[in-house]
Amino acid sequence: MTHRWGMAADLDKCTGCGACVTACHAENNIPIAGPVEAERGRAMHWMRIERYWEGEFPEVKLTFRPVLCQQCDDAPCEPVCPTYASHHTDEGLNAQVYNRCFGTRYCANACFYNVRFFNWFNPVWDKPLNLQLNPDVSVREAGVMEKCTFCVQKIKAAEIEENAGKPIRDGDIKPACVQTCTANALVFGDLNDPESAVSILSESPRGTKLLEDMGARPKITYLLRETWNESNRKG
Amino acid sequence: MDRRQFIKVTAATGATATLAGCGNPELQLARFIPEEELTPGLAVWKPSICPVCPAGCGIQVRVMEGEAEVVRNGQPGLLKMGLARKLEGNPVHPVSQGKLCVRGQAAIQITYHPDRITQPLKRSGERGFGQYKPVTWEAAMGELKSQLDRIAALGDQKSLAFLTRPLAGQRQTLVSQFLSGFGAPVPVEFEFFGEDVLRQANARSFGYRRLPTIDLARSRYVIAFGADFLGTWNSPVSQSAGYGEMRQGHPGQRAKFVQVEPRMSQTGANADEWVPVKPGTEGVLALGIAHVIVKSGLKPASAAGRAGALIEGWSSGLAAYEPAAVEKLTGVKPERLERLAREFASNGPAVALIGGAPLAVSNGMFHALAVNALNALVGSVGQPGGVNFTPRSALSADVPASSRIDKFAADILGGAIAPKVLLLNDANPVFGTPAVWRVKEALAKIPYVVSFGHFLDETSMLADLILPDHSFLESWVDHNPESGTTIAVASVAPPVMRPLHSTRAMPDVLLELGRTLTIPIAALKAQTYEDMLKAGFSALPAPKPKSADEPAVDVWTVAQQQGGWWGEGMAKAAPAAASNAKTVTFVEPQFDGDANTYPYHFLPYASQTMLDGSIAHLPWLQEMPDALSTAMWSSWIDINPKTAAMLGIAQGDMVEVLSAHGKLRSPAVISPGIAPDVIGMPVGQGHISFTRFASGRGANPIGILGPVTETETGTLAWAATRVRISKVDGAGGLILFSKLAEGSFEHEHDHHR
Amino acid sequence: MKKDQIGNRSLRWTIVFGAIIALAGAAWGIFGQATPATPPAVGTSGIFTPGHASLSDAARHFFDIRSVPVQPIAYTHKVHVIDNKIECSFCHVGADKGPVAGIPGVKKCMECHEFVAVEKPEIQKVADYSKKGLDIPWQRVYGWPEESHVRFNHAPHIRQKVDCATCHGDVPNMTVATRVMNHTMGFCVACHEQRKVSNDCMTCHY
Repeated sequence: MTHRWGMAADLDKCTGCGACVTACHAENNIPIAGPVEAERGRAMHWMRIERYWEGEFPEVKLTFRPVLCQQCDDAPCEPVCPTYASHHTDEGLNAQVYNRCFGTRYCANACFYNVRFFNWFNPVWDKPLNLQLNPDVSVREAGVMEKCTFCVQKIKAAEIEENAGKPIRDGDIKPACVQTCTANALVFGDLNDPESAVSILSESPRGTKLLEDMGARPKITYLLRETWNESNRKG
Repeated sequence: MDRRQFIKVTAATGATATLAGCGNPELQLARFIPEEELTPGLAVWKPSICPVCPAGCGIQVRVMEGEAEVVRNGQPGLLKMGLARKLEGNPVHPVSQGKLCVRGQAAIQITYHPDRITQPLKRSGERGFGQYKPVTWEAAMGELKSQLDRIAALGDQKSLAFLTRPLAGQRQTLVSQFLSGFGAPVPVEFEFFGEDVLRQANARSFGYRRLPTIDLARSRYVIAFGADFLGTWNSPVSQSAGYGEMRQGHPGQRAKFVQVEPRMSQTGANADEWVPVKPGTEGVLALGIAHVIVKSGLKPASAAGRAGALIEGWSSGLAAYEPAAVEKLTGVKPERLERLAREFASNGPAVALIGGAPLAVSNGMFHALAVNALNALVGSVGQPGGVNFTPRSALSADVPASSRIDKFAADILGGAIAPKVLLLNDANPVFGTPAVWRVKEALAKIPYVVSFGHFLDETSMLADLILPDHSFLESWVDHNPESGTTIAVASVAPPVMRPLHSTRAMPDVLLELGRTLTIPIAALKAQTYEDMLKAGFSALPAPKPKSADEPAVDVWTVAQQQGGWWGEGMAKAAPAAASNAKTVTFVEPQFDGDANTYPYHFLPYASQTMLDGSIAHLPWLQEMPDALSTAMWSSWIDINPKTAAMLGIAQGDMVEVLSAHGKLRSPAVISPGIAPDVIGMPVGQGHISFTRFASGRGANPIGILGPVTETETGTLAWAATRVRISKVDGAGGLILFSKLAEGSFEHEHDHHR
Repeated sequence: MKKDQIGNRSLRWTIVFGAIIALAGAAWGIFGQATPATPPAVGTSGIFTPGHASLSDAARHFFDIRSVPVQPIAYTHKVHVIDNKIECSFCHVGADKGPVAGIPGVKKCMECHEFVAVEKPEIQKVADYSKKGLDIPWQRVYGWPEESHVRFNHAPHIRQKVDCATCHGDVPNMTVATRVMNHTMGFCVACHEQRKVSNDCMTCHY
């Protein structure tokens, strides 16, 4: 059975701590843009913590939401790519093939989640910072679009073992963000396995998709925050 | 094919002729077995300990073979070695439970930082100008030794001083033994966000002089007073794990979480109810809650026992904290107070916690004791879902004495002491203390300063000699977590990689000095720090074998493999007797600066990414957007929209902040989550000298703080300064990831246009 | 007017293409013969970047002109593999275990050469590196430039009984290893097609 990788993010657990963001940088060789380029809006964060203010002081509320590539089934980034660099794999990943990409940035324009990042310059690591680079992941160069891969290198490594006879159990593959999520708000797994934690969470009555009415059929389910209600409290 | 087979092959092909001449070939080959067996391209995970904050999370390090450009004996070249690639939480470690925070993830960049000091340096220019020339380790050690011998020969051993950030584990023991063996005073400790008020309060209320371990996972109602426990306070990783459980770990039992603070922190943003109070009145609210609980008969006042007895008027029902009085002081409406009190008392297990700014005001001890009494009243102390205290292992039974930087500086300036040699370890008080304390001036009076630092920060710039320490990944590391777990933990780990540069571990330098001084320090028996750790850990109780025929486990071996020892603590000692039974009552907090001239409370806070500024040099953290402001690479001040409108300040405008002791400039972030009379500012930026990534970036709020101290402990009341602000000309330099003040999904950042 | 603009534009393109061809010619002239590369200079640059170090580097890459690696030591595979019957995996330990076959460090060399053939000048060079505490800066013979974004994994290929020689030629009979196979995408894809394994881009490029 082919896998269909998906994620669930429980917003009731997410604390906005940002551990997922640095974990993603460390795992995926994401360079820093530096202050000058960051000011131009060119900082690269495959994963970010969105925050929404509501109300006015003192009745103010804030909500966090970790946003990464939603790995849409009807991804708007894919049909616009003139070189098929942005394409859909059998396992439902929105793959970005750096070799094919020549930087039209159509995909980033089409993506309404704003999760695609363009390399305006060749990334630079002041030595010996380069020694921390993960050899299992490409280092991208100027002119190439990049984005969250669901840590495809971890998926591939597990699938190579699977082909050699070691089945993938639920929870074996943990993208960097899921691995470090301090409150265990993020869950990753196979949506084709009805028993997987991510499948069960995706069916939660609290489950929603981000900008669902845009029709891109994202594979990340956000479980909405609950409110405390003393009278509903059981036990 | 392994080596043994290889020998067979060479035997068969005649190569043995050469080998045979050297005796037993197996033995000969054994000498060359590399210390680490790494298969190229494959990762191994090795335990270590996160060095960034005092929580002491156990980590595991992904190590893979790689080629490092190194200098060996003056010659540049390549070295194949195991290189750390990524840090993750150690899944078997009781504190981190496999998780690691935003700052810990970036700690790997300490090791690979391009501006690390790579060899011993001797000052070559005027002091404070950062001009150094490389020297050999032999020369550097010789120089330090002669300095120490000189003061010893004069019988002036007291003039050696050791300034450090609070140490843990055997490092702390070693430094104390070194100093007492030499005849020097106890080490001077410095940490900006120290929590000594809370430690002392816990000692008074409960008999445990340490930070609390909050069992959030089983709590059903949590009130936090100022403690940013999901971000920067105490043991944030273990607390976040507990928080996740508290939210969704028990179906149908979702807990309520209330945060009390005048500026919404990352933690406060997650609260079900956010209660802003006037700064310095948090304990009044806690006692108001206690008053209602007692008055309405939900709990008897006597339930609070010793912790309650410390509060004046407790046994008579806290009449001074009736709702109307509380409203006057805190600004919280009586109906709200009564509701919170009823909810807190009837939705147990309930727990209250306090930390950070409420304790950094002149009456901090009052707030801490008030919250402790509230916990005792609802019976949450030592209970599931309540406040617990991590038991100690035999390795952390005694905490050696230390003194404080403010006293040290004042004594030097006042002429009470005149240290001749200062050893400086991993502390940067020149950056982290108010200018009014004149710490830089005091340290500059010391004729000879030696730093073990691996970066040239503001304090290390004063050094005459730099003996760079290994990074944590290159050293033996150990730690005794003070909190974050309910079992005793003594973490330890061997180096995960060979040193990249010509550095030496500080503990080994001290041990070598102890041996080679003209009057050796007899108390230091270990040859190496590894020996010292081994001796300490071998004495810990071994885990009981699961069955009779299972061989006994060697504690030291297991501890190295899993990253520490954990188990039953020392005998579950009864809490220490009350040392100070003096009662406290609410006294108006004292703020530096007159309220008419300086109308705003100035609230510095621990930065989500840079903590106290000691990790501002890590590029990932500079470019990591702050959770609330989304600011990167910059400092900022938080202003309430109404205050900003009144002063004509818009988002990103440059603002001058003026206290009675100094001024700074920083761009404005208009934030709905801050009280109109409070100006917030993250600590961490504003370094003058701290590598290419942090130097000259933003402003440092610590510099302009007034010298207010917490009355009972004498620690810095860093949240007790008043300021005035005004818009000034010039670009703010604010760099935001999200361009809009209020997050709005469709128009978030436009990075690709 | 509009036509003029188009004219201008096509003229511009002609110039651009002309310049490219001229540059290419020049590049061919300069680098047409595969130039021997010197052993990698260590510590010469303070930064690491996936970009090309120079324009000529980029031109050579574009025209697939690859330098002939010059090894710091004239290591001979034949003496080790054929004469002394040492298996490939003795030194290339990672090949059947993971992504990288690996080139052994100087310690591995010294396991034997502390005793074996110590008098030979090339072996003395090895011993020199070892004495300095440095590794030998071997040059890679195969492998892809950073821009190819290939995440090749040896282990599954070895498991599928792909012989080393399929991709590396008759290395055992070589003295200093030379590049005899051209690892183009066509080379990989052809084999994948033949063996009916995935040719999805993500199989190799991520």
